[in-house]
Amino acid sequence: MMLREGGRLLTVVRTERQARDIVALDLTDPAGEPLPAWEPGAHIDVQLVTRHLRQYSLCGDPGDRSRYRIAVLRERLSRGASAYVHSFLRVGKRVRVWEPRNHFALEPAERYVFLAGGVGITPILPMVVQADRTGVPWKLAYSVRTREDAAFSDELAALDGDVTVRATSTEGRLDLPTYLGPGEAGTAVYCCGPPAFVDAVQDAMAGWPDGALRVERFVPAPVDFGPGQPFTAVCASTGKRVRVDADVSLMTALRRAKVPVPGACLRGTCGSCCVKVLAGVPQHRDAILPPDTMDRIHPCVSRSATPEIVLDL
Amino acid sequence: MASSGSAAPARDDAAAPWKTRFRRLGGAQVRDLLGEPDPETRLKILDHLDRNCRAFIAHAPFCCLATSNGAGEADCSPRGDYPGFARVLDENTLAVPDRLGNKLGDSFTNIVENPHIGMLFFVPGAVETLRVNGRAYVTDDRDLRTMLEQDGVRPQMATVVEVEAAYLHCGRALLRSRLWEPDMKDLADEIPSPGTFWADAAKAAGAAEAAGLDAERLDRLFEAGYQELY
Repeated sequence: MMLREGGRLLTVVRTERQARDIVALDLTDPAGEPLPAWEPGAHIDVQLVTRHLRQYSLCGDPGDRSRYRIAVLRERLSRGASAYVHSFLRVGKRVRVWEPRNHFALEPAERYVFLAGGVGITPILPMVVQADRTGVPWKLAYSVRTREDAAFSDELAALDGDVTVRATSTEGRLDLPTYLGPGEAGTAVYCCGPPAFVDAVQDAMAGWPDGALRVERFVPAPVDFGPGQPFTAVCASTGKRVRVDADVSLMTALRRAKVPVPGACLRGTCGSCCVKVLAGVPQHRDAILPPDTMDRIHPCVSRSATPEIVLDL
Repeated sequence: MASSGSAAPARDDAAAPWKTRFRRLGGAQVRDLLGEPDPETRLKILDHLDRNCRAFIAHAPFCCLATSNGAGEADCSPRGDYPGFARVLDENTLAVPDRLGNKLGDSFTNIVENPHIGMLFFVPGAVETLRVNGRAYVTDDRDLRTMLEQDGVRPQMATVVEVEAAYLHCGRALLRSRLWEPDMKDLADEIPSPGTFWADAAKAAGAAEAAGLDAERLDRLFEAGYQELY
């Protein structure tokens, strides 16, 4: 637990209850400096004064460089951060924020289908707004448990498009195969939501062309990579060689060797621990990087496919 | 060194004061000397955690936890983690995760015998401390342990405290001690290392294993152990 280096302190200038358990927060630079640009799908790392470090999708207007907007769901079993945000993060308080990263960028397509489950609406909303503005045909299905759980009602109502809000507790689940229809070339499907929702979408799209579905998961899909193999990590700046045993993560081995790498999610979803690979072949076990990525690695979960891997550390 | 008089002789090389046994005062005598507290003082004692207490605990990375066994023998141990690690569940209930420790489990065995517990919360930089007293029990509830997960590690157990009294303790002790002043940290250089404590204690106990317990080696063990906090 430590304050991560870098980043900048932003001030909470507005809080707005968006749904029963979702609060939206507007963050600005205290000196009024413009914030780094971002594209729909991007997220930021946010570190609270309690040192909890979490990732939140940006859900405001990318054209407004004066503020970032995030929306935070109060998790039923909050591990600390979301409960803190809801109970204590008020206007005037500060949080530390790092540059936006985007693992879920909106690629050009002839038409879009957007699928959001619960708080998964946050990265989807700016995508829908952008598609709407640029005149690309789109439709959105937003699945919530009850109407009280639906966020951004005003923003969605302002759009001139096909928006389906589905309250599953009273209306049952959306019939995804019917909603999606048969796979059509030129259609890109963007989906963000809880694991069961994403799994259902993937099942419904079994017959679609490869690459039609882009997903951002709250929790990584369970993948069995088999047991880890031992390897050696070499720190390029010092030549230090770090043995990584089969049952230990690269990040843990580095930490034990006093080469700490800051990380947040520790499960391969946030990307905050990214390290450059200078030599060797990474074996990616995260939910972000394509398997053939050679120049980067997320040491919280990923390992080396070669007996040795040289890192820019 | 002054004569030890009628007091028990000093053990080993500890600086012996002139005596170590003193007159014992009863409750009435103590009250006579203390005087009565202002009536307002008792008003600050709550029987639950109000919004101020909840804010204090949400920002506290450290507390001391006092328990005693069935015979009333007392013990006090430290607990610490991310600020807010002791989670307020409602205004009468809070939960403290069990983290990696020495596995002696003194607090747990005490709580099982005797639920009464006293906690003292600290916020770095704040001179006031928060006192919380109540009754505790130990649980392995899965949902609660999930809430207390940290750095990807779920605790095996949690201590649940049913709050009976809570109040802010004034800051004089921390002001007098200058506890949070950075220049006070030179004191830490003057105390024996943890390996020295361990090795000396084992020797003093005459344990057969003591021969293999070398202070420097033990210090390295501590240092390695401190790399694994969860």
